[in-house]
Amino acid sequence: MPNDTQILNVQGLSVQIPVHGSMLRPVRDVNLEVGRGETVAVVGESGCGKSLTALAIMGLLPRQAMVQSDALRLNSESLAQASPKRWRQLRGDQIAMIFQDPMTALDPCYRIGNQMCEILQQHRKISRTDAMARSRDLLGKVGIPAPEERLKQYPHQLSGGLRQRVMIAMALLCEPELIIADEPTTALDVTIQAQILRLLRDIQQETNIGLLLITHDLGVVAGMADRIVVMYGGQVVEVGTCDQVLAQPLHPYTEGLVRSIPVPGETEQGETLGYIPGIVPRQVGELSACGFVDRCPYATDICHAKSIPMRDADNARLMRCILPTDGSARDPAVWVLPDETTAQGAATHGSTPCPKF
Amino acid sequence: MLVYLSKRFLMTMLVIAVTSGIAFLLVHLSGDPAAAMAGEGASEADIEAVRATYGFDRPLYVQYLDWVGRILTGDLGRSTYLRADVTDVLARHVPVTATLGLCALTFALALSIPLGVIAALRPNTLIDRFALWVAVAGQALPSFLFALGLMYLFGVYFRLLPISGNETWWHFIMPSIALGYYATPAIMRLTRSGMLDVMQSDHVRTARAYGLAPWRVVVRHGLRHAIIPVVSLAAVQLGFMLGGSIVIETIFSLKGIGYLAWESIQRADIEVIQAILLVIAAAYAVLTLLADLLNAALDPRIRIS
Amino acid sequence: MNNMTTSAQDGAPVSLSPGRIALRRAFRHGGFWIGGTIILAIILIAIFAPLLTPYDPSVQSLSKGFVPPVWAKDGSWLHPLGTDNLGRDYLARLLYGARISLGLALLTVIISGTIGTAMGITAGYWGGWPDMIINFFITVRLTLPVVLVALVVVALIGSSLWLLILVIGLLLWDRFAIVVRSATQQLAQREYITSARAIGSSTPRILFREILPNITGPLVVVASIEIAHAILLEAALSFLGLGVQPPDVSWGLMVAEAKAQLLFRPWMIAIPGAALVLLIFAINLVGDALRDVTTPEGKA
Repeated sequence: MPNDTQILNVQGLSVQIPVHGSMLRPVRDVNLEVGRGETVAVVGESGCGKSLTALAIMGLLPRQAMVQSDALRLNSESLAQASPKRWRQLRGDQIAMIFQDPMTALDPCYRIGNQMCEILQQHRKISRTDAMARSRDLLGKVGIPAPEERLKQYPHQLSGGLRQRVMIAMALLCEPELIIADEPTTALDVTIQAQILRLLRDIQQETNIGLLLITHDLGVVAGMADRIVVMYGGQVVEVGTCDQVLAQPLHPYTEGLVRSIPVPGETEQGETLGYIPGIVPRQVGELSACGFVDRCPYATDICHAKSIPMRDADNARLMRCILPTDGSARDPAVWVLPDETTAQGAATHGSTPCPKF
Repeated sequence: MLVYLSKRFLMTMLVIAVTSGIAFLLVHLSGDPAAAMAGEGASEADIEAVRATYGFDRPLYVQYLDWVGRILTGDLGRSTYLRADVTDVLARHVPVTATLGLCALTFALALSIPLGVIAALRPNTLIDRFALWVAVAGQALPSFLFALGLMYLFGVYFRLLPISGNETWWHFIMPSIALGYYATPAIMRLTRSGMLDVMQSDHVRTARAYGLAPWRVVVRHGLRHAIIPVVSLAAVQLGFMLGGSIVIETIFSLKGIGYLAWESIQRADIEVIQAILLVIAAAYAVLTLLADLLNAALDPRIRIS
Repeated sequence: MNNMTTSAQDGAPVSLSPGRIALRRAFRHGGFWIGGTIILAIILIAIFAPLLTPYDPSVQSLSKGFVPPVWAKDGSWLHPLGTDNLGRDYLARLLYGARISLGLALLTVIISGTIGTAMGITAGYWGGWPDMIINFFITVRLTLPVVLVALVVVALIGSSLWLLILVIGLLLWDRFAIVVRSATQQLAQREYITSARAIGSSTPRILFREILPNITGPLVVVASIEIAHAILLEAALSFLGLGVQPPDVSWGLMVAEAKAQLLFRPWMIAIPGAALVLLIFAINLVGDALRDVTTPEGKA
């Protein structure tokens, strides 16, 4: 992808957090690029490091977290050495973030209009009246009825779906180049989820911004993303276009994820959906094996012996696995009846969840 | 909301009514008021005369109802020692105590809220430890001892401040600090824990994610929330201070109701004593009511529902 | 995602009761040791006061008034802390003063703890009307100013040590009631209480065998707070001249009697004052440590 259309370029991003004397490494060597007008989905189960990656890109991790990267560029401006002041100028202006739970992400003490104006006036020299007018226009644009009245309401007076629309309007206030949406529909009712996703997609296409969509739900990704980045255990394990990854997953973890989606018309009632046995292991210290080895049905001696590097697969895809890329040596049956011992093996690992931020 | 308010108001009235009864009983059952008023060495006939004059020979409930009836018309009784209406006596003393209480509260808030906020923003650092020690010391130091310490340091050693009386504002400085310091640990701890919570909350993360200036994040989106319970606590603490000012007022000879109470207790001036008990209890009840109202007013989720 | 994994918890052996675990954690807590040592020292001083000083704290010898303490000019080891205006040995008064301060606090807390716990359990276990009535009592009690009420009663009835204990005990039950009430409310909804009811355990049995043992944690914490509170209240009353009466001696009374010496002999206030602060500080340390170790989540 040519550099001038690239909005976000992250290379070799790692996050380390000291917890009780040991060093958690919830994000390891993550590469991520988002182009103008592109939607990139970061997919993985909870604890895989996807949210921490997003917070690291926003510069929002707490003090004690150590963030390292070879490159962290927004619009070819390097942020790795940016001052806190510069970070604040960029946040809300050039990068905006939409959070998971709209019930708590808005400040309950202030009216919607007040909160939107505060952001606008932080970043632009603009009068209160003009800021209100722009806020009202944006509320209308994200499909909120009677925006004039909403401005004067408090968050608790709105439904969850409306609040998430307010969050989206908020993100659009300063016409950012990049929007990071962290599980934007997880906390919403199923019927609302589709509406919010459609809204996000429409806005993304209309404004031609970059959208980094973080989700655990491959179903959400299907109609939205141009490219998919699959994360597991703090590492990127697979990268490819949406169609490629969903149709022909290369990494066993992705394969497991795809198999756990029910397909209308194909999945029969009563049929056991595939699932991946075990849980995400705790990320401490250097890897001495493939991160997925304990849960992988195809694991070999090599997988236990060393950490697996990223490698190019066909059609500009990337994968972190030694399996052949043509889909051979795979057996769908392994997902349906998981090996008891594999499940037990993973369980003894114990799990201390990664601290939430 | 209106139902809640009227319930709460009725409750306050009921509490004041019951406390007035208790105040009355305390004074009348703790010995013979007639004998106490007649003074030591009074003859049996004198005591009888007092008893008849003040109606102490009537049944207690009649006396109580009579007292309540007079209170409702604004008559708090007559001080036998001062030979003046209790209402007038209180009118002279209440402003002093009110001033002291408000100054003390201001001092307590000015010390504890910034300390609590800073401690919460930098947990487990030197300033956090310092704040903790201020709190621990505040809880271990009896107020009369702290008052005497202040008196010695600023009144006797450095001779900066007057040590007794209430003529000027200077007279109120040490008493306010002595009285207010007692409320700081509780307020500081509540501010600190509230700020610790709120700074972890989602909406503060949103505020930071949208690049708001740090002071805006801390004050507008942090303290604004943490302060809600602190305001209630402050109102309640003010109530406690009014009741506890007796020690400080006697030390600094500040002529407020605490000082008056202490003098009246020694003179067995029971009309004044029961009036003061009633006034302080009513003030406390009203302040707690006010605390609830402020709580509701400050939180839009309660206000608009 | 999967429901086959069972969380294999490794950690402490299961056989220890919560109380034992709390005790274990307490002994590893720094504040508990420091505070506990100070309190123990003061208790021992109170008990063995007659052995520690040859003087009687209330015997006056007017010819020997205001002997300076040992560190001052003209001081001697004969009276290490000097004497007061009436020639009573100050060290003896300090040592004997510990007796009243501690003993009175313990007795008042037994009274207030019993009242408060009974009210709290009643309100928390039954709820409904008893709860409303007891809540009302608590509100009324909080509305009455403690110092003033105690002063009035003591002044009008006439001061005696037993009256003082009774009055303070009858005034300080509010925190017990509040804390026990909410702790009981939480317990009463737990499954093992419900099942105890279901198998037909008698109410007293549930209250004494299931509820009471399980609220000892908060109860002990409140007791520590209230002991400190009672000591402070006694000191304040004595300071105002309506608490402990001569010939008895308490630290608050010593401060009161030395008040006039603020200008020339400030140490006479500082010595009993420091003793009071040290005792309260130690109790608070132990109280904080107990709160840390009895909170199930620990210090986090």
